[in-house]
Amino acid sequence: MQDRLEALERAFRDALREAADVPAAVEAVRVRFLGKKGELTAILKSVGALQAALRPAAGAAINAARDRLEAALAEAAGSARRTEEAAALGSSAIDVSLPPRTFPHGALHPVTRTRLELESIFRSMGFTVEIGPEVEDDRHNFEALNIPVGHPARDATDTFYLPGGLLLRTHTSPVQIRTMEALAPPIRMICPGRVYRKDLDATHLPMFHQLEALVVDEGISLADLKGTCAAVWSRFFGAEVAIRLRPGYFPFVEPGCEFDVSCRVCDGKGCRVCKGTGWIELGGAGMVHPAVFEAVGIDPERYTGFAFGLGIDRIAMMRHAIEDLRLLVEGDVRFLEQFAC
Amino acid sequence: MLISVAWLRELVAIDAEPAAIAKALTSRGLTVDAVTDTGGDTVLDVDVPANRPDALGHRGIAREVAAAFGRRLHPPRSVPRATGAHVEKEIDVVVDDPSLCGRYTARIVRGVTVGPSPEAVVSRLAACGLRSINNVVDISNLVMLELGQPVHFFDLARLSGRTIRVRSAAKGDRLTTLDGVRHDLEPGMVVIADGSGPIALGGVMGGASTEILPETKDVLIEAAWFSPSAVRRTARGLGIATDASHRFERGCDPEAPPAAQDLACHWLSELAGGRTAPGTIDRRPHPAKPPRLTVRLARVAALLGYRPDPAEAVATLAALELAPSRVGDSIAITVPPWRVDLQREADLVEEIGRSLGYDRVPAALPSTAPRGSASPPPPIEDAARERLAARGFHEAINYAMVGAGEDDRFVPPGAPAPVPLDNPISASLSVLRRSLLPGLVRFADQNARRGVPELRLFEVGRIFLGREPGAFPEERLRAGFVWVGAATPPHWSAPPRPADPYDAAGLVEDVLALSAVRGWRRERAVLAALHPGQSIAWRDAEGRPIAWCGALHPAIAGSLAFSAPPLVGEIDLSALGADLRGPVTASPIGNLPAASRDLSLVLDRTTEAGAVVEALARVPSPAPATFAWIDRYEGPGLAAGEVSMTLRVILQPRERTLLDAETESYRQALIAALSAVEGARLRRTEA
Repeated sequence: MQDRLEALERAFRDALREAADVPAAVEAVRVRFLGKKGELTAILKSVGALQAALRPAAGAAINAARDRLEAALAEAAGSARRTEEAAALGSSAIDVSLPPRTFPHGALHPVTRTRLELESIFRSMGFTVEIGPEVEDDRHNFEALNIPVGHPARDATDTFYLPGGLLLRTHTSPVQIRTMEALAPPIRMICPGRVYRKDLDATHLPMFHQLEALVVDEGISLADLKGTCAAVWSRFFGAEVAIRLRPGYFPFVEPGCEFDVSCRVCDGKGCRVCKGTGWIELGGAGMVHPAVFEAVGIDPERYTGFAFGLGIDRIAMMRHAIEDLRLLVEGDVRFLEQFAC
Repeated sequence: MLISVAWLRELVAIDAEPAAIAKALTSRGLTVDAVTDTGGDTVLDVDVPANRPDALGHRGIAREVAAAFGRRLHPPRSVPRATGAHVEKEIDVVVDDPSLCGRYTARIVRGVTVGPSPEAVVSRLAACGLRSINNVVDISNLVMLELGQPVHFFDLARLSGRTIRVRSAAKGDRLTTLDGVRHDLEPGMVVIADGSGPIALGGVMGGASTEILPETKDVLIEAAWFSPSAVRRTARGLGIATDASHRFERGCDPEAPPAAQDLACHWLSELAGGRTAPGTIDRRPHPAKPPRLTVRLARVAALLGYRPDPAEAVATLAALELAPSRVGDSIAITVPPWRVDLQREADLVEEIGRSLGYDRVPAALPSTAPRGSASPPPPIEDAARERLAARGFHEAINYAMVGAGEDDRFVPPGAPAPVPLDNPISASLSVLRRSLLPGLVRFADQNARRGVPELRLFEVGRIFLGREPGAFPEERLRAGFVWVGAATPPHWSAPPRPADPYDAAGLVEDVLALSAVRGWRRERAVLAALHPGQSIAWRDAEGRPIAWCGALHPAIAGSLAFSAPPLVGEIDLSALGADLRGPVTASPIGNLPAASRDLSLVLDRTTEAGAVVEALARVPSPAPATFAWIDRYEGPGLAAGEVSMTLRVILQPRERTLLDAETESYRQALIAALSAVEGARLRRTEA
C-alpha cells in the first residue's frame, strides 16, 4: 500500500510538471488522479480488501496523500491562471516609445503675461486697475496734464490725430485724469493699456503698452514713491532691488524724476543688460503737478500724490531676453509659441 | 546738446575730470548720454529737458557745474571799445507787434574781413556738431552755443532803407531764406522787414537777400527775444526747425540780448577785425519785473518725504543764483530771467530736491486705504485670453490701424466708415480698424509664407466705430481668431482631420460660455469676408449680434498662401456685458433612472436640424427632456437631397420613476409633432 502510494505521488508530480502552466492540462491531471475514476480513488477503493487492522492506517495515509495532491493542484491551477492572464496582457502591450497624443498648447503674449504679473502685484497692494479710451481728446491727453497748446513737450510725443481734434492717446496718463475726475481721494490705481506714437524704427513702434500708477492722498511724498517702487520691483524680480531716483522732466509731475532699479542680472556690478551701469532705467515718475490737481478739481494744498509710468513691452523684452522689439507685433508663430504654458 | 569741456573750463574754474562733471550733471537732471574724447577736448552729450532752455548753451551748463561743485562763473568776456558813428545814426528799429517780439536789440560792427575761421574755432564748432562756414557766420553760432541766445547777422550794406520793423507777416509776403527755399508767409508769422519787405523770419532763419557774403564789410547784429508761441507758429507753419527756433520756442532769457551783443562784438573784433560802433538799439516795449517765489519748508518736507536742514536749502538755492532769503518758515527767492521753468512753489521744491540728491529720499509705503474703482477693465477680457490660449491658440498683438479698405469686407453692411488718421505713418496704417480679423488673416498669411502652414492665432483688443465727426468713436472690445490646418495636433495614429466651421463654432461658444449671457441663437452669418454657406453668426436673446465665425471666403483665402481653408471668428466681448458667469447654483442630481429614446429621421438638406429640435422641444414632456443629435448620414440608400439623422431624447425624471406608458405616449406625441415640421419625417423608431 505504502509503495503504491509513493509510486502514485511520484507519477502525480511528474504529470503536474508536464502540465506546466497550462490550466487545461492541470485539470486533466486532477481528473486522472482525483477524479471519480482517478488513480487515488482506485487505491481508496482497494482499502476494503485489506485486513481490518490495517485499514485505519491505510485510510489515513491515503487521506494525507489526497491533501498533498489537492494542495499541489490548487497551487498549480492558480499559477497556470496567472500565467495565462499575464500572457493575455502581454499580447496587448503598446510601444511605449511612440509619442503620445498631445493637446494643443496656446500662449499668452509676453506683453500680456508681464502685464498680468504686474497687475497682480499691484492688486495685492490695494491698487485698483483702471482703463480708458484709446481715442482721447486734447484735454485728457495734454491740457489737463499741464501740457498746454504750444508746449514743447507736445513735440516730443509725435501724436496721431483724428478728425475733429481727437487723437490716439500718447500715454496712459489720461486714465489718471479720468480717474481723478471720477473719484475723490484717496486714490490708489494703475492703468495699463495700449498707447500710440508716430514713430517706427528699430527701437520704436507706433503702438506699445504702458502701465502707470497713481496714489493720491494726504501726506503722500517721494518717499512713498520710492518705497512703492521698491516693493513692486522686488516682488517682480523675486529678490530685493534698490531704487534710484534721478531728476527728470515730465510736465505733469513736479518734482519729476526717472526711476531705475538695480540690475538683477549682475547685482549692480555692471553687465550687458544694464549697459555696464548696474542700473536699469524703468520709466518716469514724480509728484503730481499742482496744475494737474487743479485741472481735475483736487485741492493741491490738502492732497499730494505720486505717479510713475513704464513701458510694459520693454519690461517683457528684458524679462524674456527678447532682442528685437518688432517681434512683439509681427504675429510670428515661431516666436509666440515659445511662451506656451 | 553737445558741450565742450574745454569751453566749460573757459567759463567756470573747474578742474574736475569730464566723467565727474558728467556724473554731477546727470544727478542734477541734465542727463549726459555720452562722454566722447575728441583728442584735445571732451564732448558731453547732454539731454536737455524741454523746460530747461537755459541749459542750451555752455554758460547755462557751466552755471549748473558751478552750483554742483561750489564754484563761481567767470565774468563775461571783454567788450571792445566803440568807435565811429553811433548805431542810431545808421538805422532805427520799430517793433510793430510786441506780442511777437518782447525785445529787439541791434548793434553795428564795421570793417569786418570775411574769411575762414581759425582752426580752433573750426574744431570747437565741430565738437558741438556744427560745420564752419566763415569767420563771421561762425561767430553767430559761437555766441548761441556759449549763451544759448541766438543772434543773427545782416549785411548792413544790403539793407533797404534805414528802418527795421518787427511785424506779423502780411498776406502775400514772401521770403527766400538762407537755405535758398522760397516761402509764402502767413499772417501771425514773425517777420523782420526793411524798406523792401521781409528780410528774415524772426527767431527762425535769416533771408538770402541780406546774408553775410565774402565781400561783406559792415554787420548789423540782431539779438532779440521772440515769443515762444510766435516762433513755434512760424517754424511749424513753414516746416522749418533750426537751432534758433528750438531755443526761442522753449523760452530764452529776456536779459540775454545785450550780453549776446557784447559777445558778438568781442569775437567780431578778435576774429574778423571788426570795429564796434557806439550804442545799442534796445526796443523793449514791456520790460517785466523779475518774479518772486516763496517755498515753505513744510511743503519741501511734504513733497520730498524728508526735512532738509533750512540752512542747507538756502545754500543750495543760492548756488543756483536764486538770491534766497529766509522768511520765517519759508524761503523767498527771485527767479533769474533765464529760469523760465521756475513758476510755482513745487518747482523750488524740485530745485532743492535735485540739488541735494534724491538718494536722500527715504523709502516708505503709503497707508492709503484701497477703495472702489472708477473704470475697471471688463474681467472677460483676460478670461477670454486665458481660454483661447488654453484651447491651443497663440496670442498675437496687432496695430489698431489698418490700411483703408482692408477691413471693408470684415464689417457688416451698414457699418460706419472707418475713422481715418489725419497724419498716418504709412498707407497701410491709415485708418482705425473695425475688425480684428484682417490683421489676423494677414498674420496667418505671413506665417504661411515663412513656412508655418498650420496655426491657431488670436487677439483680444479694441476696434473703433466712428460716430458723428468730432465725437469719440465707439471702442468695442473684441476677441478674434484664425485657425488654419487640422482640428487636433497631428498624430501617427490617424490622418489629420481638417478643422471645419463646427470646430470654429465650438471655440466661439467656449468663449460665450464665459459670460453671463444666455439664450443666444445661431443663424447663418452675412459677412462678405466669410464663405456664405459655411459661416455662423450668434445673436443674444434681444437679437443683438454677439459673434460670427466660419470659413474665410474663397475669394479672399484664394489669394493668400494658405494650404488649407482658414477659419476665422470674432466675438464682440463688449456685447457680452461686464460680468462673467456668476457663481453656479447647484441643482439636486436625484437618483431616478433616465429614459432615452432615439428617433431616426430623414431630413431634406434644406431643413435645419435646429428647427426640428425647436418643434419637438415644444411638446409637453413627462420629465425634463434633452435632445442630442447622435448620427448623420447621407449617401446610398437615401434620395438625393436627403439626410438621415438620429435624435436621442433623454427624459430625466426628478420626482418619480416614469412609467413605460408615459414614455411611450411622449414618443408618440413627438412623432405627431414631427409631421408638422416641413422637410422632416420619421424613418423608423428604436426602443
